[in-house]
Amino acid sequence: MSKDKPVTFWEKLGNIDYRWLYALSLVFTIIPILQPLGLPVQVSEPTIGYCDAINNLQPGSVVAVSFGSSLALLDEQEAQYLATWKILFQKHMKVIFYCTYADSALILQKHLGSKVKPEDYGYTYGEDYVWLGYAPLGEAGEASFAQNIRGVYPKDQFDTPLDEIPMMKNINDQSGIDLLIFTYTSCTDVEWPVRQWVVPYKKPTIVATLGCCGPMAAPYYPTQIQGFLSGSGMGTELEVYSGNPGPGAMMSDAKNLGILPFLLFFLLGNVSYLGKRYAGGKSKEVK
Amino acid sequence: MSLFVRKQLPIIIASILGILMILAYFTTFDIFAQFKGIATSWVVIVSAVTVAMGFVYMTNAQIKMYQMNKTPLQLAYTLTTYVFFGAFMIAGLAYKGDVNSPEYQWWFQNIYGNVSATIYAVMYFTLASSAYRTFVISSIESEALVLGGMIYTLRQIPLFQVYMPWIVPLGEWFLLVPNVGGSRGAVIAAAFAALVVGIRTLWGKEVTLEVSS
Repeated sequence: MSKDKPVTFWEKLGNIDYRWLYALSLVFTIIPILQPLGLPVQVSEPTIGYCDAINNLQPGSVVAVSFGSSLALLDEQEAQYLATWKILFQKHMKVIFYCTYADSALILQKHLGSKVKPEDYGYTYGEDYVWLGYAPLGEAGEASFAQNIRGVYPKDQFDTPLDEIPMMKNINDQSGIDLLIFTYTSCTDVEWPVRQWVVPYKKPTIVATLGCCGPMAAPYYPTQIQGFLSGSGMGTELEVYSGNPGPGAMMSDAKNLGILPFLLFFLLGNVSYLGKRYAGGKSKEVK
Repeated sequence: MSLFVRKQLPIIIASILGILMILAYFTTFDIFAQFKGIATSWVVIVSAVTVAMGFVYMTNAQIKMYQMNKTPLQLAYTLTTYVFFGAFMIAGLAYKGDVNSPEYQWWFQNIYGNVSATIYAVMYFTLASSAYRTFVISSIESEALVLGGMIYTLRQIPLFQVYMPWIVPLGEWFLLVPNVGGSRGAVIAAAFAALVVGIRTLWGKEVTLEVSS
């Protein structure tokens, strides 16, 4: 904020105390939590592609989930995850979970332990799904996993050797996997599965990421990746499209009004700038 | 340390490994595929070791910060880091189940989870004030950025989907047509640039290697 005392109307408009902006943001975010709006959601094409990539598999197909979730950003993606787990279990897919980020293992433990219990869908651990725990994979690790699963994860999360897990008996590398679901929080990571799974092995792949990363996933859709989810908005779309309600509805509600102060500030900032520039204000440059 | 050890040896190792990995990618010989499997497994192991190295670097940085600013507040910051590091270590090692134990889960969900989520949540306010201060339409480029960004953002908000239904196809068009066109161009250009840097690195001609050494 400028230390010079604003003189003109345009300058005053551009020098509103930020604390008013913060207060307004807070109020607008809280309102939909207290009074949900429940507005309908329109499902986008990449979300349909994401869901259909799972739906088009035969029951019993093997799906690998590369789970790279961050607890700090979980609100942005939890709706995606929970809806995805539900779809996988409803369609009776065999699922291999492996975690690529330190937080991911603990998030998955909570999800599978209480929020979407595989046992509720008739699943048995080791026969219908396995959880390989956490390893700091990175792109090279993804390549290694695709080539030799036991080279990266000789044991599962519970220290059971993979050779002793019935479901893993004939699954040694990418050839035993029918679909890869790659979740990540760093926008450029979308290139990892493309380079290490799609190009060398032509493996069907779908990805889930943050709202801000959607535009970087889009260039690979629909040729390299068959669908993608970005942010809680598309997580909500997946909930709607698959008929699995979850936390996305609340997030979308909060976004409904939470965006309004942002737009208002954007408008005020620009009116102030244009006013100063064209209607006799002081500065003509943005510093 | 001699120039050979500092500069030439790392370049030779990187070059040999790089060429072997390229051969593994572009040829069908089993020996290169086996090498790729071993090398990428080692990357995972080395990555795990770097976590321990991170602790060493963090300690070094903490000591330097305290030496530059020897105040009780800085000491409190430093000690807080190690107190929580120790607490998480104890919670992760002392209970049955290690990091799967309910005790570690409690620390993780209630301390780390809440703190990290709060930091990101506070960014909302920063974004709001930055929209006010800096998101101004002052050039053709910024107009394009604002137009594309706003339409993509508003398309994801149900409020606008309901009351401005035309924003849905428009937002999707922005995402899947101009964005894809521009991004693919950028990705291809970056790939070519990476190829050039890679070749220069394998040849030991990359300038940044000389600067860093």
